[in-house]
Amino acid sequence: MRGALSGWDVIISGVAKAVQLILSGDPTVLQITFLSIVVSGTATLLGALIGIPLGTVTSLKQFKGKSAVVQVVNTLTGLPPVVVGLVLYLVLSNSGPLGFLRLLYTPQAMMLAQLVMVMPITMSITISSVSAIDPDVREAAMSLGASPLDETLIMLNEARVGLLTSVVVGFGSAISEVGAIMMVGGNLLGYTRVLTGAIVLLTNQGEFAEAIALGIILLSLAFVVNILLTILRSKFAGTSSYTASILVSPAESRSA
Amino acid sequence: MDLRTKLWIAAAMCFLVVGAVVVAYSARPRALLVIATTTSTVDTGLLDYLKPYFDQKFHANMTWLYLGTGQAMAVAARGDADILLVHDRVRENAFVASGNGTHRVTIMYNDFVIVGPSADPAGIAEATSTVDAFQKIAAAGASGNAAFVSRGDGSGTNAFELRTWSQAGISPKGKSWYFEGGSGMAPTLRTTNEKQAYTISDRGTWIKLQSTMRDTLNLQILYQGDNGLLNPYGLILLNETRYPNIQSQLANDFFLFMISDEGQSLIADYKVNDQQLFKPVFGKPETIGLPLETAEIEYWVAQLEANGMKPPSWVSANLGG
Repeated sequence: MRGALSGWDVIISGVAKAVQLILSGDPTVLQITFLSIVVSGTATLLGALIGIPLGTVTSLKQFKGKSAVVQVVNTLTGLPPVVVGLVLYLVLSNSGPLGFLRLLYTPQAMMLAQLVMVMPITMSITISSVSAIDPDVREAAMSLGASPLDETLIMLNEARVGLLTSVVVGFGSAISEVGAIMMVGGNLLGYTRVLTGAIVLLTNQGEFAEAIALGIILLSLAFVVNILLTILRSKFAGTSSYTASILVSPAESRSA
Repeated sequence: MDLRTKLWIAAAMCFLVVGAVVVAYSARPRALLVIATTTSTVDTGLLDYLKPYFDQKFHANMTWLYLGTGQAMAVAARGDADILLVHDRVRENAFVASGNGTHRVTIMYNDFVIVGPSADPAGIAEATSTVDAFQKIAAAGASGNAAFVSRGDGSGTNAFELRTWSQAGISPKGKSWYFEGGSGMAPTLRTTNEKQAYTISDRGTWIKLQSTMRDTLNLQILYQGDNGLLNPYGLILLNETRYPNIQSQLANDFFLFMISDEGQSLIADYKVNDQQLFKPVFGKPETIGLPLETAEIEYWVAQLEANGMKPPSWVSANLGG
């Protein structure tokens, strides 16, 4: 393959290479892709499990310093990944305060780094989408004698599209992140190397076609997740019988 | 089933999945060897090439952190890697002297080359020495005709480059023609290519990048061959008393593998574009003008023999045994 490779040639051969890599089921590529999904998926899941309840509580409860909390959470959505990576590296290092956990350069450390970045995003979107619900819904629920738990569930149910969005945005930022995971994961071949880290390394080494190929796989992943969630969202967006059923007969629903 | 029940089930399932994943990935696999190394051993593909041989022989999983020598040493000094493979003799000695490392030998070498645009605006092809070449680049830079891209990352190559500037009596930092890339050798070469500037590279990374980038790499070797351009690589065993968590047994195995007849021959056989990238030199550092390492060599030859491995043929001749 002699002859100058122009920018377009590289991208086109990258696309061809991507198709070839995906079809051939290259074990290294599969492993790297799988690890990307597992690490970012776990971080997103944990981020949602922590961020959605915290966000709900923050937006439904009235307390002193609430607007300060909201401001802080909103600011944390823009945490620079390299700073997260650096701080976590120093904390998790064998010479660091949590070095005894032996977490540095493991997939769990990468999950932790992404969790730190995803959680504020999930929480922030939860706060804004729960706050955006018409206050009449809550008042109606209260006047009909809904318990605080029922009330919260009704609000969450009303905000479900926003919650789903928070998860999608969280996953999107996790799987495309590279600064933090390379610092705490070490980009170790076959162990902590994910798609973004592999793309950085291949680009460094001038293997542009392979780098583009992995980029296409990464993009396809984000695309598939988005499509899945769009389908879910459109299903969710229909009228909910749940809110109605509680509003009509809260006692009955609770005892069910 | 009402929504609350569903939510509880969903939450329980989430925890199960997360738990399963965490268990599946918990704890570093026992046989994982983490080498803290310089970018050139990775960018040249040398470690990729050696990996299957080492993994098979020791049932290990050899992997590496892609860092400059400075960062590799900092990471190893914190106990975050199992063994150190770098190229900056001054700092290597300091590392061992401070007790972070217990053993150090020179295992291989290549040389540095100065590359630049084929038009060679600074005229370094006619330079009489490395220092002269650097002075020519600085002069052309000052008149706006040339630029220099430095690694700027505290790596071994960077340290070599800075020593050369200082020998040339030039302090390049902050000059308009001097760029500090802050990245590995291959990315620095790519930056140099885009800027059509000069830089200094180890020959191995240069050859490898030539083979991957082909005609898009519009740079040439303009100065080479000076004895002062030698680039020896040191292998350092870390102090297992200071770093009890490291894989010291596996690190020892890797040390033996790299200095053994097999490892040294594999290094010699590694070629890109029919060109040898590294020359093995364990046991004979004096042949390239480096200080003798007799005590270390005797220790390691005994270790090799105790483990049923062979030192390279030239070593036994050297030791008179």
